[in-house]
Amino acid sequence: MKISRLLLAVILIGIFYGFFKIFFGVVLKQPIPSSLLTMYMFFVVVGILLVLSFTEEGARELMSPIKNLLENPEKKMMRMVVFVIVSVLAGYITYNQIKPSFEAPLELRTIHPAPPSNFSAFNKTYNLLTLENPFRKYAKEDPEKFKTLVYEGGEVYFKNCFYCHGDKLDGQGHYAQGFNPLPANFMDVGTIAQLQESYLFWRIATGGPGLPKEAAPWISSMPVWQNFITEEEIWKVILFLYDYTGYVPRSWEKH
Amino acid sequence: MKIKNLLLIILAVLFVSSTVFASGDKENGKKIYEKKCIWCHGKNGDGKGPAGSGAFLNPPPRDFTSGMYKFKTTPFDEILPNDEDIFKMIADGMPDSSMPAWKDILKEKDMWDLVEYIKTFAGLTGKPAKQIDFAKQVKTSKEGIERGKKLFLDRCAECHGEEGRGDATKKLKDDWDARTWPRNLTKSWSFRVNNNPKEIFARITAGIPGTLMPSFADPASKKKMTDEERWDVANYAASLADASKTIKEGSTVVKAKRILGNLPEKADDPKWQEAEPTNFYLVAQIIGKERFFTPSNNSIMARAFYNDKEIAILLEWDDRTKSIPGDEKAAEILLEGEVYNDAVAAQFPVTIPEEMEKPYFGMGDAARPVNMWSWKSEKKDAPQAVGLLNAMGFEKVEQRDANKAGLTAAGVYNKGTWRVVMKRSLKTGEKDKDIQFEEGKFIPIAFSVWDGTNSEKGSKHTMTTWYWIFLKPEAGAYVYAMPVVVALLVFGGCVLLARSSQRKE
Repeated sequence: MKISRLLLAVILIGIFYGFFKIFFGVVLKQPIPSSLLTMYMFFVVVGILLVLSFTEEGARELMSPIKNLLENPEKKMMRMVVFVIVSVLAGYITYNQIKPSFEAPLELRTIHPAPPSNFSAFNKTYNLLTLENPFRKYAKEDPEKFKTLVYEGGEVYFKNCFYCHGDKLDGQGHYAQGFNPLPANFMDVGTIAQLQESYLFWRIATGGPGLPKEAAPWISSMPVWQNFITEEEIWKVILFLYDYTGYVPRSWEKH
Repeated sequence: MKIKNLLLIILAVLFVSSTVFASGDKENGKKIYEKKCIWCHGKNGDGKGPAGSGAFLNPPPRDFTSGMYKFKTTPFDEILPNDEDIFKMIADGMPDSSMPAWKDILKEKDMWDLVEYIKTFAGLTGKPAKQIDFAKQVKTSKEGIERGKKLFLDRCAECHGEEGRGDATKKLKDDWDARTWPRNLTKSWSFRVNNNPKEIFARITAGIPGTLMPSFADPASKKKMTDEERWDVANYAASLADASKTIKEGSTVVKAKRILGNLPEKADDPKWQEAEPTNFYLVAQIIGKERFFTPSNNSIMARAFYNDKEIAILLEWDDRTKSIPGDEKAAEILLEGEVYNDAVAAQFPVTIPEEMEKPYFGMGDAARPVNMWSWKSEKKDAPQAVGLLNAMGFEKVEQRDANKAGLTAAGVYNKGTWRVVMKRSLKTGEKDKDIQFEEGKFIPIAFSVWDGTNSEKGSKHTMTTWYWIFLKPEAGAYVYAMPVVVALLVFGGCVLLARSSQRKE
């Protein structure tokens, strides 16, 4: 039996909705906030309708059950029932939209905002395009010295950073749950593994308040570390982060 | 004959190697320890790693060289813990401390190897000779809880407080001279192991070595209890868990309810029970100078009411000590330093943000000032005080007159809990200086708390990040009329659509 295109559209939309609900809500236990889900579903519905009505014929086929319902004189009763259901549903959605609710507004956030080409810290101006970790070279030149530098970076980490970013560098330190957004998880492939050392230096030195304009809502809890630790300590802690996690910092392609 | 010998040799090798593996591979343990554990517990296991030395952590990391383990299931007169006790600490971590659970990244064998290595710091060998006798677990019952309560008030309340909030009436420090805080039994999530009656029974029976928590199974103790009595107390202690203090993930809104008539002014007004509480984690202030690392408070609860003129916010937090500078009793339980006032503050942006951009949560920023309401506990010779300030960052602070802005605050301390009501009119005359409350808008709010007996003063305190307060408007006629209008319009639209479609045909 060939199922009608309209039914197919409804089933497809249902599958997507079920996937979002079950996969994120039940499997990952991280339900999507309702406002975000509405946005996703909007794109899903538009997408499915576009695909199914791509050809003239397809569009006609998709619309034919609706056309039939609207025009067939024998379906007057059915027509009225559908109209009532649709209007009640519209009324109900309106009510849910405007009734006062305590659901907090959604705060979408730029995770890795584009860095400026240069920035100031420690009373100096740094050019992010040319900035390099001055200690990185010892990895090859003097491995013993490098090991010491990494350990010293670890000391800096465990006196300053681990309260939030965690013993395991997983962003789940003792105080992590008290902050919003949650501290970065360095073990995740989406954080330091994607970034250059100069980017880390910029984020550490200038902290949350140093975020650029487009990084709204500007709620990072990252302290302004140039107020607490030295430039050298920042470079050392960066060595430690990469050494501990086993990731390699990104670098500009050499021409 | 030869085959028999060979078999014997194979068996012997298997036996020896199996015992070696069973007792854990110290070398592998050492390797993991030196990558993951040295940072707090130190290379030599003395608890003096980079994060362990100095006053960075309270509780401080365990000193393994002492061979003393706090949370064990062997009796008070048995120094050795069970290997399982150490394993459990590594695998599950210790809530409300800096020890994380390692089981998500370490294999089970690796953790057993760690246990074996950690024991070498104090040269612990062999198995403990004695085990805690769990006797026959007494199931919790109404009568048992009553018996437990009586025993608790007699034996435990001196340190854990009458209501179990850990509000000790005496000075407490551990064998290493660090300030220790008795467990607040009403916060079930803050137990170092967990608040299962069986675990509590183990603590009561074995004590917590190195601290002032004694064994109540020690026949030499005047406070000794029988197995059954200890089960009763354990069941009672577990029953003290207060579900209203649970911090729910994703619960970020202080729900201000609109009421008719006057707002409750007193913190102990029963009317407050009608307002839904929201709980938030308090964390140490580590973003601005001087930073603070050893907090004693860990959560705060907020409720709110408003009417057509005013808003009242009830802030409630457990604080083990009522800190009254100049008071002898407060000085008595102080370990070192000085007694300062207890205090609390609520922070708002001066202007409700239209977009997402809020002021910096640490006292605002140059472009977006904050409004800070504060309350301070009494001194021996001075009453409670209300404060008001505006800030544009840590450095740029303007002290203002709370009276002039119509801000009031009053607090009551009762058995380990502070309750403070702050009240102000919704609008004030100074629009550019004071937050003007509006119904139906999500307004950022953040909190700070000071425990004066824990050296908390100035920048040394606990705090929250930004959350929200929402003044929920009454659902007016509009909320009910609008859906009906929409439904009618949609119905009309459908009918028109059908008509025009039929006509075309």
